[in-house]
Amino acid sequence: MPYLIIDNRHIQVPRGTTVIDAAERLGIMIPRFCYLKVLGAVGACRMCAVMFEAGPVKGLQMSCMVQAADGMRVSTTHPEAVAFRRQIIEWLMINHPHDCPVCDEGGHCLLQDETISGGHSRRRYTGAKRTYPDQDLGPLVQHEMNRCIQCYRCVRFYQEYAGYRDLGVMGIASRIYYGRFSDGALESPFSGNLIDICPTGVYTDRPSRFLARRWDLQRADSICLHCSLGCNTVAGAHYRAVIRQESRENVRVNGSFICDRGRYGHAYANLAERPRQSRLDGEPAGWREAAREAAARLKRIAAAAGHSAIAVLGSARNSLETQIMLRYLSHHAQWRPPRFFVNGSEARSTAAVVARLDSRLAAGLPDLEEADFLLAVGVDPVNDAPMLALAMRQAARKGAKIVVLDPRPVELPFAFDLLSAGLGDLPAALAVLVKTAVSQAGTDGCEAQEKAFLAALPGRVPDEKLQGQLGQAGGWLAASRRPAIICGSAIAGPELAGLAADLALLLQTGKTPSRLFYLLPGPNAFGAGLLQRGSRYFPSLLQDIEKGGVRALLVVENDPFFRYPDQDRLHSALGKLELLMVLDYLPSRAARAAHIFLPGATVFEAGGSFINNCGLLQYAAPVHEGGIPLAQVSGGSHPPRAHAPAPGSEKCPSAYEALLFLANELAIRPPTMDASPWSLLPEDFPGQAELLAHPYPTDGLQLLPRLSEAESLQTPVNLPTSGPAAGALTVLRVEQTFGSEELSCYAEPLRQLAGPPLALLHGADADRAGVRDGEQLCFEIGGEKVELALQVTNRMAPGQLIIPHHYALGRAACRLPAVVAQAELRGLTGQDSPDLPQAITES
Amino acid sequence: MKVDKDKDEGGIINGLLGLAASYRVTLTQLFRKPLTESYPEYKRPLPARSRARIILTRDKAGGERCVACYLCSGVCPVSCISMQSAEREGGRRYAAWFRINFARCIYCGLCEEACPTLAIQLTPDFEHSCRHPLDFVAEKEDLLVDHGGKDGDYDFYHYAGVDCGEGKGTHEAELPPVDIKSNLP
Repeated sequence: MPYLIIDNRHIQVPRGTTVIDAAERLGIMIPRFCYLKVLGAVGACRMCAVMFEAGPVKGLQMSCMVQAADGMRVSTTHPEAVAFRRQIIEWLMINHPHDCPVCDEGGHCLLQDETISGGHSRRRYTGAKRTYPDQDLGPLVQHEMNRCIQCYRCVRFYQEYAGYRDLGVMGIASRIYYGRFSDGALESPFSGNLIDICPTGVYTDRPSRFLARRWDLQRADSICLHCSLGCNTVAGAHYRAVIRQESRENVRVNGSFICDRGRYGHAYANLAERPRQSRLDGEPAGWREAAREAAARLKRIAAAAGHSAIAVLGSARNSLETQIMLRYLSHHAQWRPPRFFVNGSEARSTAAVVARLDSRLAAGLPDLEEADFLLAVGVDPVNDAPMLALAMRQAARKGAKIVVLDPRPVELPFAFDLLSAGLGDLPAALAVLVKTAVSQAGTDGCEAQEKAFLAALPGRVPDEKLQGQLGQAGGWLAASRRPAIICGSAIAGPELAGLAADLALLLQTGKTPSRLFYLLPGPNAFGAGLLQRGSRYFPSLLQDIEKGGVRALLVVENDPFFRYPDQDRLHSALGKLELLMVLDYLPSRAARAAHIFLPGATVFEAGGSFINNCGLLQYAAPVHEGGIPLAQVSGGSHPPRAHAPAPGSEKCPSAYEALLFLANELAIRPPTMDASPWSLLPEDFPGQAELLAHPYPTDGLQLLPRLSEAESLQTPVNLPTSGPAAGALTVLRVEQTFGSEELSCYAEPLRQLAGPPLALLHGADADRAGVRDGEQLCFEIGGEKVELALQVTNRMAPGQLIIPHHYALGRAACRLPAVVAQAELRGLTGQDSPDLPQAITES
Repeated sequence: MKVDKDKDEGGIINGLLGLAASYRVTLTQLFRKPLTESYPEYKRPLPARSRARIILTRDKAGGERCVACYLCSGVCPVSCISMQSAEREGGRRYAAWFRINFARCIYCGLCEEACPTLAIQLTPDFEHSCRHPLDFVAEKEDLLVDHGGKDGDYDFYHYAGVDCGEGKGTHEAELPPVDIKSNLP
């Protein structure tokens, strides 16, 4: 551990630490442009020069290029170093335009800061400045090359770190240019990070262009809700609208970056059509009046038909506080236990994950970056959870072998092996791969139970080509030392989740101690999984509604129409309800169908805790008070001048507050009205004691048990080894990076990037059905016809029809029934009735 | 020296003289031409740099100088300036709305110092008393004037180096845009 002195202060740092990092640990920020910890040092900008006065290195050196060593004495304030840095910044500023007043970076610009700290206030250079043409880089990033200081950060991130090639560096000498070969939207779903890492204003945020200065934003630490990874963000609001999100560093979760879905997905909070008015039987009503009426009707229904005639539907985007309150309310009012998932398969997958994940097995994104073999099953990382792809790329850069086992034509920004297997074949293929690996690595450490489990695993899949690929991948797994299995839950059912845990445990007994990483269907799916214990799934609830057993349904921040496959059935079932009460902040179809509607508050207004896919509880702080964005109140012109409470400034109570109000009306009083939500937790909830002691842990709270309670190696090993009967198609509804997720699909720039929806079909199936690439296919969805263009590809598994979960055809289309249930393939030959996949069969 | 308090020689005389002198001053001033300037009958011309009512000026071509950069509202010690920036056709940044609450303004002039485009300026016009507080709230149309104020020649967009429709490399002291596809030295 080198021991050195920086500015007369002593510090000991781990070996390999650079002097610039060592100084940062002391709180000394040495000026820098090209250096970023995650990207490493290149020593290009010469800004971090410091004086090495004693030790192995002497003289003026770049602190990012010199590793700390014993006996070093470093001065960051040495006159020679200060003069050198002052000179450098003056040179960098020679061609920089005079446009800070109209530059969105102004106010949080590193170049501005370093210029001022260099002591410059006036330009001495009077010659002509170099200029560049700019490019249209798509709806997310604005390009202004005149401002560039040639630090190479953008290209190093975009190409080396993220693995996309369409943005690069061109030109020579003083004409170095960063951009694309020609105009066009950036291909990377991580392009927004260019805005954060550019030390000046070459890349700025386009949707929030010219909207506000950083110093005027109300900013708070938030959590991204657009997938289950729980990436950390800083959200900024101005004049009651959330206008910008930036990544927040968290080495346990997302590192330094976030994806574009997370960065730009916040538009739902500012929608003009966001419902803000409580409604009672379709008529506007006061919030309290509507909530009181809801309580009165619930009491009447409970008196007439019993408490079990009332059911509750939460969601995986509820904050944990809301979920706890839902559970508490339904438990004490003796209603049916709350459900959180509309899709039975998602509910069971999540239950399996929550039961099986423990700290022996769980890997976080940083663990994946360190892995030397990654096996992704039932996951399309870029589409399901983009930041997962970025973490996998870091492993690939360090030399890891990566295998993806999936029916979809998965594309990733690094070299990997795609093993195409049909949805039904995934468990068997995974089992074959792991069995091969364990057999090769030897079964010395295994006990009898494990050996029996291993023997019961299938050894072959019918497809010869796939069998060969699985054998090869098994060899890589056997040779690896830090493997990890990544298991999705979006398309595959709960069997795969259980099997993945069993196989990871099996591998842990051998020489290849594998870790496990699950993806979950929603930002707080883990919390829902913990709190849904004892409840049955949504499809059974629908049956009860149809039979008349359930007369009132309380829907909190969920839109069953968005996920449930059979729109007609859902519509008629909900029509039978005596009371449909909806509490939400989205202009959803359920919200319009509600008898009583209460507007809700988004995470930016209410805050809340969310448990990510690794069992990490994190808190998102409220960013602003809420209310209608000023731009909408004033129609873009001057805001109202009145002194009285400004129109639109009324804020909506959060779902937690609304449920607390309802509980109070129903005379179900929590211990005290201002009690911590954590005091209402059920007994078996992990981490309650820690939460009561520290309600909102800043670094998050890991809720995973050391050992899961579930029986290990319990998955039945009679796995199906063949897909549906020949001729039938499995319909897969898949997530897309942009446009298919429930919240971010309201963001206009992301919908532009999503492009027209495509149906994917394997070449063999297309030939058999007599359809061609580019043909329009007509589907019948909940009584409405929807046309999708067909794309034929041979990179996917045969026997599947892949359609996007939800397609954005303009804002009105968000209200369209989202999913295909009885998909009638008009373009396909008559005898092919598409087989419904597990993902939408009822449980 | 011992002072005899009972005998105050010359005290009364000195007092009377003092009184007479002040009456003399009063009487002589009474018949002189007055120095006071009566306001509002007479309005004294104030120096251009004196700080009162705020205006938003225009450049020589008649365009709004304000680019809504938020520097004036950022520096304002009493937070009396608010605005919303937006983008005009062609890419120019401008204030969609701009509001100064003169009931709050302390006429410190920091906004004028901060303004990079010389748009916001304080003028000698100090006369704006109103009966209702809301009448002190000036909107953009109340603030905009059709001249350039103290430095009428300056136009930020001649020096900025941002393209607002006239193309890159056309501003003062700029080279034409580089050819990014050329590798010639």
